[in-house]
Amino acid sequence: MTTKTIYDFYKLLENDNISFSYRGGFTNNVLTTATQLFKENIGEEHSKLKNKLSFLMIESFQNISRYSEQEGTDILEDTSEFFMTRNVGDTFYIISANLIDNDKIPTVKEKLERVNTLDKSELNKLYREVLTNKQISEKGGAGLGFIEMVRKTKGKLPFDFVKVDEKQSMFFMQIELKNPKVDDGLEPLPLSDAKFVQEIVADENILMMHKGDFSKEAVGPMLRMVEENMQNVSLKVHKKIFHFLVEILQNISKHAYPINNKREGIFQIGFDDNKFHIGTGNFIAKDEVANLKNQIEMVNSKTKEELNELYRKYLREGKSTKTGSAGLGLIDLARETTDKINFEFIEINNNYSFFSLTVNF
Amino acid sequence: MLEAIILEKTKNSPEIILDKENNTFKIAGRSIVEDPGEFYSPIYKWLEEYVKNPLKSTDFIIDLEYFNSSSARQIMEIIMLLEKISDTGQKAKISWLYEEGDEMSKERGDEIKLVSKLDFEIKEYPAEDF
Repeated sequence: MTTKTIYDFYKLLENDNISFSYRGGFTNNVLTTATQLFKENIGEEHSKLKNKLSFLMIESFQNISRYSEQEGTDILEDTSEFFMTRNVGDTFYIISANLIDNDKIPTVKEKLERVNTLDKSELNKLYREVLTNKQISEKGGAGLGFIEMVRKTKGKLPFDFVKVDEKQSMFFMQIELKNPKVDDGLEPLPLSDAKFVQEIVADENILMMHKGDFSKEAVGPMLRMVEENMQNVSLKVHKKIFHFLVEILQNISKHAYPINNKREGIFQIGFDDNKFHIGTGNFIAKDEVANLKNQIEMVNSKTKEELNELYRKYLREGKSTKTGSAGLGLIDLARETTDKINFEFIEINNNYSFFSLTVNF
Repeated sequence: MLEAIILEKTKNSPEIILDKENNTFKIAGRSIVEDPGEFYSPIYKWLEEYVKNPLKSTDFIIDLEYFNSSSARQIMEIIMLLEKISDTGQKAKISWLYEEGDEMSKERGDEIKLVSKLDFEIKEYPAEDF
């Protein structure tokens, strides 16, 4: 994860009003937070879709665990389970990806192709059939989930299988929920878009990614998410990550340059080489760039001991107001990270720039 | 008598007890409020009054699992207010509590102790079992 990849990722998701992706061990906490994040942050015009969206996210999640061949593992692989929800224009997308045994593919494919070709009354009929057929139900995964997804979205379920090896493939599926009250006139995003995102987050070892309006409501669910899903790392690392997420996310919500009344930003947590990486990106007013740059360069130039002294000084005296003096948050961040703070400013126009930052723990 | 301030903890703000009558002074939980100035200002007001006429001995308990950097300033502000108690000839101390194994909270306490002029005790308590 570099400051450049943060910007590339932002560009990739530029049209998303909100998007969230997660890779790794799937627990109900992830689900709770993901549904909460969307409930609290989707646009007013889509508010009637909230319940349907939560329902579909739950179905998608359960689908991952139903077909997945993976045991709960802490080690991330390129083939780790992947879940993403995004809103672009008038449509919500829920994407899941997980490993499946090659010999199960024909059955799953058949079920999906069937639900994708049936009309409303045929679907209802099939639903009742499957529901009352004990024999099918007992096998588990009778396709009820797929039928429900199609009935609720009134759309198709694009899917694909990408061969991993002789035994297994990655099973991709996309649920599309369109707001019937709003028509953006856009073509739906192809499944290949989601596959591309999955490929990048896998390559970059990104555990969690969120792009959206970093209002207070977004920060809360994100923090709870991190808090509840990092219990397997040591308490010290866990607290550090939480501590700096608070600082970084609150900074975005306070200082990001508002465009159309939104404080847009992107945030990622990655893990590789035994280190956690946190990366953020947001817009910043152009006249604030020089000052922020000075502050980061100042803390980057100091030793841990100098930073400690500075921190203690500010603790008693408060931050001096002269230009170029860093706040407690930035000093704290600099002294706790294993490497220097990496940052980059990319000029967007005469009013604002894109500011990306990565830190390692 | 100063009327007590008792605030329950929320997911972003700590529990606060400022109760002169029962000799209990405590801040506990987590402080990651986005606008700490607003949250802490009634607390300063209370303490400004209190330090003019404090009890013989004040034991102020700080038991915070997390606090953001702007809250760190506010906590320091509380400690600096309590430092004024010595002007009245009475005693004041800070009891900084942290849960067993919580190194970060301990380190934060060590650091604040370094810059504080008060009697400052750092104490570990056993982790809760579930």
